[in-house]
Formats: sequence, structure tokens, C-alpha cells
Amino acid sequence: MRRLLYALLLGLVGAGIVHIVILVLLPLFSQRDAWSRLAAAADLYVMTAADGSDGGKSTVESPDPFFKASACRFDLQDGPVRLTADGTVPFWSASIYDRGGQNVYNFNDRTATGGELDFVVVTPAQMIDMRKDLPAELEQSIFVEADVDEGIVVVRAFAPDDSWASRIATYVKSIACTPQ
Amino acid sequence: MLRTVILTLATLLIAIGGGAASVWYALQAQEGIGAVTIGNWTAYPNMGAPDADPYSKARAAREGVLALGRAEGLVFFSNRDSSGDTLSRKCSYVIEGATPPARFWTFYAADRSLAILPGKGKRKPAANSLSLLRNPDNSFTMTIGPDATPGNWLSVSGEGPMVFVLTFFDTPVSSSAGIAEIALPQVLRTGCHA
Repeated sequence: MRRLLYALLLGLVGAGIVHIVILVLLPLFSQRDAWSRLAAAADLYVMTAADGSDGGKSTVESPDPFFKASACRFDLQDGPVRLTADGTVPFWSASIYDRGGQNVYNFNDRTATGGELDFVVVTPAQMIDMRKDLPAELEQSIFVEADVDEGIVVVRAFAPDDSWASRIATYVKSIACTPQ
Repeated sequence: MLRTVILTLATLLIAIGGGAASVWYALQAQEGIGAVTIGNWTAYPNMGAPDADPYSKARAAREGVLALGRAEGLVFFSNRDSSGDTLSRKCSYVIEGATPPARFWTFYAADRSLAILPGKGKRKPAANSLSLLRNPDNSFTMTIGPDATPGNWLSVSGEGPMVFVLTFFDTPVSSSAGIAEIALPQVLRTGCHA
């Protein structure tokens, strides 16, 4: 009887350890994370639909029908990455995710000059280089420091109703994700 | 000898089975760790954030989704009406009440995977605060269900459970500490098809 109790107690302690181990390792070993799914859809530095509008499963958490979300994967080891778009929309927001899908930085159109989408994602080391000699074409850009190598940037554009559909589609198509 | 083997096996079974099952339960529970519940609405304000608790991180990785950032907005989910019953596509609901300060909000009815439900014809079961009919005192009432009603009607067809998704964009609520004190609209069931 005492041995049975001992075995039960040991099992419960073991269950606690297994619980913690699975919880911590799950983000590291997830095979169907956002990065893998986007990698299957498009190459690095290619903007691709992230809200399931291309027929696939949505990569963003709740694919809002009033939003067009598109994503591009980048690798800051290749240098900074710049995102630009032509024109303006009623609202846009952008998020930078690390390789594991954690939201490391996010902002919306109120942050930008005149609501225009133009920002550069850099590592802290690249930021120091940029400060020394800022290229003329980046003078108006927002600089986002992210301490990541591989990452994902998602831009969400708001279409208040169907009459905006074509304008938003043009806008989303104009979003460019280019390594500098 | 045999007793030792059986006890060892039982210990291992409890450890591995119990550990895995408890993680699975904690992650699939709608009101799990890291969730904020207000009335019938649930939000995960820390989902996907680097300073999130391990449960929120594991949930994000398991579902493989990119969560909305705090400067973008805050999403509330509801799979129950205000009296606690599960939302059904065969029932009609009235949504009314206060909304927290935000630049605008969007609402849609979704299936369990959070994809928007089909409506009747071209009408989608979705609305946002910029295209809503409002009462003279600026309050609003939305009706959602299979039967057409005057005012803000969002059509739903088919049967099965549904989830309401209410997102506030550019809201101070997501970044301040007072998230649990905000008031959210009520979801009242008005009737069902048998």
C-alpha cells in the first residue's frame, strides 16, 4: 500500500515536470507555426496574403473581413528591410514578429508622417551604422529596431466597406518589402 | 518483481499521460491562463507578446497564428450569450451596450477557426463602427441571426456553433492596466429556430 502511494506521488510529480517541459518546448518545436506556413506560400521578401484570402488557412489570428493582411518574411542578416506603399488608407497597422511568431514591435498609421507607410526594420547594430550615414532616400522613414535575425512583418489595411475594396486592393498590391 | 514493474509503469503513465493531458487542457480551455474575461467576452491581451506567460506563448505557437499587437488593437471573443448559453447559428441575437474608447471597432461572426461565417446571399455577418446605423443618442443595436430585421441586421446561415469576434483598433484599453474595468456590449438571445 505504501509502495502504491509512493508510485502515485512520484507519478504526479513527474506529471508536473512533463507539463512544464512540454509547455516550454512547444514554441521551439512547433512545426506548423506562422513562419513555416508563410515559407510554404512565398519566398523571403515577397508580400503574400496572410488573412487566408488566397484560399489557404489564415496566418493572422482573427482574419477580420474588413482588413486585408499581408506578410513578408525577412532576414536582417542580409541587411535592413524596408516597407513602403503608395497612397493612404483610412487605417493601417504593422507588426514585426520574430521567427517564433512573437510580436516584438507594432505600430499604426498615427506613428507615421502623414499616415504614409514607409519604415525600415533594423537590428541595433545596423541602426548605429545607419545613424552615421543616413541614406537620403530613408530620411522620411520610420526606423524600427528589432533584435531579431529572421522575422515576419505583417501590414493590415482597413477597408470600411465594399466601396473601398478596389482601392485597398491596389494599396495592398503596392506594398513593397525590399532588403536594403 | 512483477509488482515493481507494474508500479513503475503506472508511475510513468501518470507522469507522461497526466503531464501531456494537463498541458493540452490548459491550452484549449477558452478561459485559460492569460485570458481576461469581461461578461461573456474573453481577450488574450498578452497573446504573442515577448513578455507573455508561457501558456500564452505555447498557445500562440500551437495555433501558429500571428496575434494583433497592442498598438494595433485588442480582440475579444465570445462563444456564449449574456445568459451563458452557447451561441448557435440558428438563433437570433441582439447586441447592444457600451464600447470602450477606440478609433473604431469591427465585429464579425465566425466559426471555431475564427474564419467568417457565410451569410445569406452577399450579406456578410460583419459590421464596423463606421458603417453602423445609430440611435439618436449615439448608441447602437445590432441584430444577428437568420431572420431579417430592420436596422443593423447581420445575416447568418447554416447551423452549428459560432463565435463573435469584436476587435477594438487603436484603443488605449490594450496598453493600460484598466482592461478588466471596461464595459462591453451585451449579447441577448431573442429567439431560435427549432
